[in-house]
Amino acid sequence: MRTFRVTAHRTKWIVMAVITIATAAVLSPWASSHPDGLERVAEDHGFLHQATAWNKLALIPGYELSSIKWTAASVGLTGLIGIAVMAGALWGLTRLLTRSGGGRNEQSAPDGIKLKHDNG
Amino acid sequence: MHIPDGFLDAKTWISTTIIGAGAVSYSLRKSKLSLEPNKIPMVALIGAFVFAAQMINFPIAGATSGHFLGGAMTSILFGPWIGTIVMAAVLLVQAIVFQDGGITVLGANILCTGFIGCFTGNGIYMLGIKLLKGRGRAALTFIASWMSIVAAASGVALLLALSGTFELATAIQAMVGWHMLIGIGEGVITMLVTGYLMERSTAIPARGGQAAYENVPRHRA
Repeated sequence: MRTFRVTAHRTKWIVMAVITIATAAVLSPWASSHPDGLERVAEDHGFLHQATAWNKLALIPGYELSSIKWTAASVGLTGLIGIAVMAGALWGLTRLLTRSGGGRNEQSAPDGIKLKHDNG
Repeated sequence: MHIPDGFLDAKTWISTTIIGAGAVSYSLRKSKLSLEPNKIPMVALIGAFVFAAQMINFPIAGATSGHFLGGAMTSILFGPWIGTIVMAAVLLVQAIVFQDGGITVLGANILCTGFIGCFTGNGIYMLGIKLLKGRGRAALTFIASWMSIVAAASGVALLLALSGTFELATAIQAMVGWHMLIGIGEGVITMLVTGYLMERSTAIPARGGQAAYENVPRHRA
């Protein structure tokens, strides 16, 4: 039976990172502004007006920075902020998960040895 | 398919918040067991990709658009538990920072686009891999991700019906109808990304239905 796994090829992940940055920064201003599936259904069935937003503290509501007049730049910058926040949050969370997993701290051991070696 | 505040009634959003919180905390516990430290940058990058790709609404038909969700993709890459965590994190950031998707309905959104999307996508994919012995992976990925969108849309329809917003049959027909089209986009993107980022595993598959992508040795390019 053929089985598959996530690749460890560095180049492929770098390409993936470039695609992610390009999507967030360059492609995002050209997204369709038509209502999405759920909004379309809500509009057709007359309950779109029920939509509210409890979160009044959102830093960047609607993916646009109001201080920047040029929409493409505003949305693109928002995309970049978004992917940075996302990657940072997940990096921190998953690091915490592997750290608290127990018995997974051996990772730090080789680093320690290496450091000692460098000093000597 | 982000439900905003106000679409679900109190009993529905309160119960989905509780169930959603339970699903996330259980997923965190399961992820802890299966997550290898070398996957950290990959998971973080895929989370960022899901966020970026969700910004790109593509036009479908009748002045309507759709966007990628990513539950099937993350769960095919990393398994359904880590997939759920990634999706929950994306929805959390979208709701808190960008006011995309409501706060009261975070649990509902995590359950539908996260949990249901991940488990449907991964479940169909793993079953297919087993039945077809790993052949036709691209087509299988497409079908699994298309199904994940249809399942997520049905979940949202069910919650809307439970809230008394509209009748279940009508809700499912309307939601599934549009998302059968949006699912095509989901299928194509998932197929391309997993096709690029996954490779034949030479490792012996672990026993007991354990996913083959776990516990594989790392090698450098």
